[in-house]
Amino acid sequence: MKLHTLLIAFCLFIFTPLASFGSADRNQVHLHSIRADFVQEKHLKILVRPLISTGFFAFQAPRSLRWEYLTPVPSIMLMHNGKLNKYTKTDGQFTEQRGMGVDSMQFMLGEISNWLEGRFRENEMFTASFPDEKTILLKPRDQTLAGLISSIELKLADQRGILDTITIFEGTDSYTRMTFSNAVINKNIPASLFSQK
Amino acid sequence: MKLHIFCLSAMMVLLTGCAVEKQRLLPNLSPAPAMEETSCSAAVFPRGKWQFIHAIDFSMKNGSGTAVIGVTSLSRNTIDCALVTIEGLTLFEAAYEEEKGLEIRRAVPPFDNPLFAEGLMQDLRAIFQPPTGGNMQTGQIPGATAVCRYADNMGRVIDVLPEADDCWQINIYNSEMTLDRSIAGRSCRTNGSAQVPEYLELNSYGQTGYTLKMTLIRADKL
Repeated sequence: MKLHTLLIAFCLFIFTPLASFGSADRNQVHLHSIRADFVQEKHLKILVRPLISTGFFAFQAPRSLRWEYLTPVPSIMLMHNGKLNKYTKTDGQFTEQRGMGVDSMQFMLGEISNWLEGRFRENEMFTASFPDEKTILLKPRDQTLAGLISSIELKLADQRGILDTITIFEGTDSYTRMTFSNAVINKNIPASLFSQK
Repeated sequence: MKLHIFCLSAMMVLLTGCAVEKQRLLPNLSPAPAMEETSCSAAVFPRGKWQFIHAIDFSMKNGSGTAVIGVTSLSRNTIDCALVTIEGLTLFEAAYEEEKGLEIRRAVPPFDNPLFAEGLMQDLRAIFQPPTGGNMQTGQIPGATAVCRYADNMGRVIDVLPEADDCWQINIYNSEMTLDRSIAGRSCRTNGSAQVPEYLELNSYGQTGYTLKMTLIRADKL
């Protein structure tokens, strides 16, 4: 599996459950758009304190995404009208990161569509279990992926269809936790947000 | 007319090329007022236990590259390092200890090539650890008031310039006395006895040359 595929898949795991879980349970919420802020904590054994990143994302069905880090490394991933671009700020300006394949993008969009249509359990990459009312546990089916991500834990917020945290476990001492806030669902988002840096 | 312009352009290109090549050869070291070796190593290389986190922009000569976050932990004879994507995925994790050598703990393709691991650790050691073995001379070279020149046991020569611009610089010459790598610190700030650069740029020359632009996110004295 190529690195860019992994990176896109990694992003996919982070945001799609947030937009899709509501349609997976019996309290179905039809999500056609969502925007939320996030704080990302990276924990590693060698880190004396976690690495904190902040940003926001916006998603609009069926195929538009903006995933943006504001600190410490400004970075934007845009997906709109079949195009996928990633930019990272270096030397004071955003430069495009090359190597994001169309095949990966199509794979990603297919997954999003599945989840938005409520086919949460049909995910080809993960098996889902529900340890309690507010927790979803995803485990990779594929051994290659399992070597990178051991599990993903999704914690539901009180508001239906919204996630509170996502924790991605790579190993016993390494995980990434994302905490979401200020979520707004089903509000129209201008197309320019998905196409302009 | 056009031929003249072409010839002039060709000469300019050749002369520029020669000038660049000349700059890349080891400069002569001339005597300078007595200088302690420690003034080089103390100013440039952090002592004790540290952890640095950098935003790293890696670019190859052909324009390809990527941006990652680098974690480097230093203790006595050990360097631990990790490369993490901005999205939080750990791409690479390894440790180097003088007695034990390199231990790779995690490597996601394409970072699973052993040559990558060796090269990365070589770069980190060049940035954070003083040269080992061999002789050391002090002096000056054109454009620098003070230089500590180390000759290591691999036939390389390493010039450490503790006062270059507003920070420091390290130039590494291969056994043919040609510049192989240069590391320039910028916007140094004093943290204890160490001069910690807010920005580092490592240039590796040759056919497989690359550039690492490292912007400091945080430095922790442990």
